[in-house]
Amino acid sequence: MRTADLIELLARDVRATPPGVVNRRLLAALVAGGAVTLAFVALGLHCQPLLAAVQQSWFWMKAAYTVLLMIAGIVITRRLSVPGARVGGAPFAALVIVAAMIILGVAQLLSVAPAARLALWLGHSWKVCSPLIVLLAIPIYACLIAAIRSLAPTRPARAGAAAGFLAGALAATLYGLHCPEQAAAFAVTWYTLGIAAATILGAITGSRLLRW
Amino acid sequence: MPQQEETEEHLRPLMIRGLEGDPAAHRELLGVLGRYLRGYFGRRIGSTTAELEDLVQETLLAVHLKRDSYDRSLPFTPWAYALARYKLIDHFRRRNRSIQIPLEEADALFATDNPEEGALRTDLDRLLQRLPDRQRSLVEDVKLQGLSIEEAARKRGVTAVSARVMLHRTLKWLNQALRDENG
Repeated sequence: MRTADLIELLARDVRATPPGVVNRRLLAALVAGGAVTLAFVALGLHCQPLLAAVQQSWFWMKAAYTVLLMIAGIVITRRLSVPGARVGGAPFAALVIVAAMIILGVAQLLSVAPAARLALWLGHSWKVCSPLIVLLAIPIYACLIAAIRSLAPTRPARAGAAAGFLAGALAATLYGLHCPEQAAAFAVTWYTLGIAAATILGAITGSRLLRW
Repeated sequence: MPQQEETEEHLRPLMIRGLEGDPAAHRELLGVLGRYLRGYFGRRIGSTTAELEDLVQETLLAVHLKRDSYDRSLPFTPWAYALARYKLIDHFRRRNRSIQIPLEEADALFATDNPEEGALRTDLDRLLQRLPDRQRSLVEDVKLQGLSIEEAARKRGVTAVSARVMLHRTLKWLNQALRDENG
């Protein structure tokens, strides 16, 4: 088939397409994957008593941290899902958010007696927190990868990393419904570690899964 | 860079009109892009290579199938360049050759155009033979006999919508088959 014939064929396949396809597909993936992860949190891990938790500042401190990371993740993922878009300052913004949380966490640790610091930092669940966030990120990551594949990522490893980061941040946000730990140092260490692991796994798998 | 601006001013409206459903604009866009892709790839893999025209066709298919991912508020040429560069990297990677393709400005794609169609290594018509008759004959009606989708649909007693869906699926399948074939 000559290239001119192929072009003719492609022109026959033209239909009006509405704008905003990229946003819709990514949003649908977040909602679908998020719903699965939420079900695992609510039914598998059980939520903490939320009526009491939402009156506590530590609950919102953790939620704000992971939601802000998630917003950065949405911006980065959106840009890496299509050809030619520049990533911009969102990765830097994510680092600033983590740095601010580290400062908050350290300040909080310094405000308690030295003997109590280790217990505050490790909490009761430091061993399971990061692995659980990685596991909870899997459904979201799978949905995101399917959505990004249907778009046109031109840097597969980076797009995979972005998807892993975003999946990790949303998973951490939903995990916050279960996790009763209160220290900023806890969240910035173990939540961030889980999100970072999801990012790395996303980069490794994305470089294969996001070829088209 | 005046040439780059001209290209942008020429191609972006064509892309947008194509997305709005104008086949003539889309045809013109793909025609222009094809010539530039041939020039760009030719500089990278050799303009006499048997794989050149295959890569041009594969990339045109990708431009067509992935055009949803173009944001109409942004310039078009960086989108086209990034897609072309990705296809070039993919081409080398599938041949297990690791070659650094420099990340240039978008005008690298529009520096040379080459209207001379080269020989094909993988003929799409040959790939089409693998498809069921009704799918293949739809493509032949549209391509060889120049029927519109509506005419081709009427001829085989199906709705225009289902003929459109079938054509679109066939193009997606061709895209995958061409990639597998050249992998």
